[in-house]
Amino acid sequence: MVVFLDYISRKLKENPDYNPHPIIRAFMCALQDIDKIENEKTVMGVSQEGTRDAIYEAYIVVLQKHSDGIEVKEIQNVNVGKRLPTDAMILIFRLQIQLDRIEGDIVSPEEAVVALNKVIPGERFVLLGDKWKEAIEEFRRALKAGEVYLPANHKAIEETLKQLDEIPAEAPWEDYPNDLRALIGSSVAKKYFKGGSVVITTPTHFKFEKYKVFQMATEFLIGRAADYFRPE
Amino acid sequence: MQPKGIKEIYQGYFNIIDEYFGSIKHYLGPDEDSHIDLGLEIASYPLISDLVFDATEDIDKAIENFWYANLKDLIAYVEQQDCLKCVYSGDVSPPILENFVKKSALYIDTVIIPDPIYNLVRFQKQIAQDNKYYLNKLIRNVFNVWKLKDLVLADTKERILLILPINLDLVKSEARNKLIEKAETKFISYTGSLFDQEFADKESCFEYLSHQKSSKDIFGNIKRYDILPNEFKKFETLDGFLNNLHATRKYTKIPIGTVGDSFGIYISAQFIRVQEHQFMCQRLNAEPIYDDQLPWFFFNYEMGGLDMDAAIATALQQENFEWLTKVPLQAIKILREEDKLEYMRGVIRKGITDLKAKKVKDLLEVSEIIQKNIQEELRRHAAEMSDLKKEVKSITRKEIPISTGGYLVGLIPYYGFIVSLPFILRDIIRLLGQKKRTEQVIEEKERSYTNLLLKSHEKN
Repeated sequence: MVVFLDYISRKLKENPDYNPHPIIRAFMCALQDIDKIENEKTVMGVSQEGTRDAIYEAYIVVLQKHSDGIEVKEIQNVNVGKRLPTDAMILIFRLQIQLDRIEGDIVSPEEAVVALNKVIPGERFVLLGDKWKEAIEEFRRALKAGEVYLPANHKAIEETLKQLDEIPAEAPWEDYPNDLRALIGSSVAKKYFKGGSVVITTPTHFKFEKYKVFQMATEFLIGRAADYFRPE
Repeated sequence: MQPKGIKEIYQGYFNIIDEYFGSIKHYLGPDEDSHIDLGLEIASYPLISDLVFDATEDIDKAIENFWYANLKDLIAYVEQQDCLKCVYSGDVSPPILENFVKKSALYIDTVIIPDPIYNLVRFQKQIAQDNKYYLNKLIRNVFNVWKLKDLVLADTKERILLILPINLDLVKSEARNKLIEKAETKFISYTGSLFDQEFADKESCFEYLSHQKSSKDIFGNIKRYDILPNEFKKFETLDGFLNNLHATRKYTKIPIGTVGDSFGIYISAQFIRVQEHQFMCQRLNAEPIYDDQLPWFFFNYEMGGLDMDAAIATALQQENFEWLTKVPLQAIKILREEDKLEYMRGVIRKGITDLKAKKVKDLLEVSEIIQKNIQEELRRHAAEMSDLKKEVKSITRKEIPISTGGYLVGLIPYYGFIVSLPFILRDIIRLLGQKKRTEQVIEEKERSYTNLLLKSHEKN
């Protein structure tokens, strides 16, 4: 893992404004104080990304000092409220490297899928892409046939069908509300892709911030959906 | 360019290693083969190895930029060096570079090795099917070189070890094509002779080989065992070699094919390597050096044997000089500080004419003479040390106590005439001075390269 710290040092040398992943910043934060504490004591580092209005990817790292080294006691994703296992942390680090190779702060859905699949085993992320039109029809059919189990907090089947009908037939994919796009994507996943796939329904010409890719990964690895999408 | 500039350049090379693998180096153990263990260990962790691979993947750009900026200066420096230089060829790097250098620096001024990092990141990475296989090789080679950092950066008159990006890829395309063409012709001719076949071109050669489905087929169809390397002359060893070779191909993107294909690729690569090696030796006014009999065989087959210096340098890599690896690395610097390399070369060369080491027998003959010469030198040194120690002992135990004893009790030793007190004092001072000087000589000789050599030989 220390090799990733070398990587971060090189990145900072290249660009002093480089912003490493919050886990690393939490690590750095904790390491700053490690010299000041006695053996067997712990030290905590906290780091977060976000704005005044929205905080995302907040991490806590707890280190314990021993006479022969430092032990990582805990890495916690505050947003998800779960401990990040070491293997998941490694995947997050690798995702950082993949995303660093893409210039700028935003990525296309295709780039996100490639990066996620590169680090998370099993080619689990797929892009709905141009299949969205047939996906809507398939969703409509499945919904009517009662094959779609809507989430408890979602609109009823009739309401969802009504919502679909209200959108003009010629409307582009981006005009569909986010939650509906996500519902369509996940409902048709089994038909178009192999089981256990996570369908990215973002319109192909859209771009989104890199941090959202981390959120996708974190959600997949330790979030609410993790139980359904365990890495193979 | 002055050596100082060269040192700075290589400092830059090691800075790249530190920037990419600096944290990992703390896991390197003290054993001579710890770099091999470290490569295997890191590559064996499923997730960690992926992270290490990703985090160091762009070392290719860093190393290419480094050579792009410095190669010209380094080549110019090597070209003007008027000393005995040897260029290594064989594997990516000698398995334990430290031992290779310990053996060769006894005779050679400058050992030049192809940059293993450059060759791995530029070529092996592209054909590696399995990142772990590549990572294992990269880490072991990075630290194989890194262990000799002090020696590469040592302030010696002639650089002890130089690392250069030796690869046909860096040769101008016209010359490169000629070398490859020549290598292909030699390969076709060799394979034709080996199997007593007429091959029109490389393709027909490989077509024939692809039908050899097993080591047994290959061995059975060979007609000229006399032009095979020793390792291939017996079925068991050829079979072992081919099985290993064939097994490693699954880690590469090159289609696996038959055992005959693997054999053909290996032989063809050897002839290309020989051309590359010869070209680089000529370009750098250097001699070839090998640590393994297989690549050495193909160079000999092609070039008709090694000259004296190359033969001696290669003979020193043979098993009977394994004891040289016990000499501390620091000793190489001592040899240079003492300015005794030329003397050592003279010792080693004694009785060796400008022969061509073409057969294993020749190489063994050379290594036996070297062994004898070194042992003679060690005996001479041991005798010299023993004489010096005897001299000190005799001053300490006999002469000084008598004179001092007489002086201390106020008696004047009487040897048939009266000796004055100042005379006795002078005598004691002279003896003490002589003792001190001899002890200093012993101390210096004990620290000397030959003595370190002697100690390693005695331990063996």
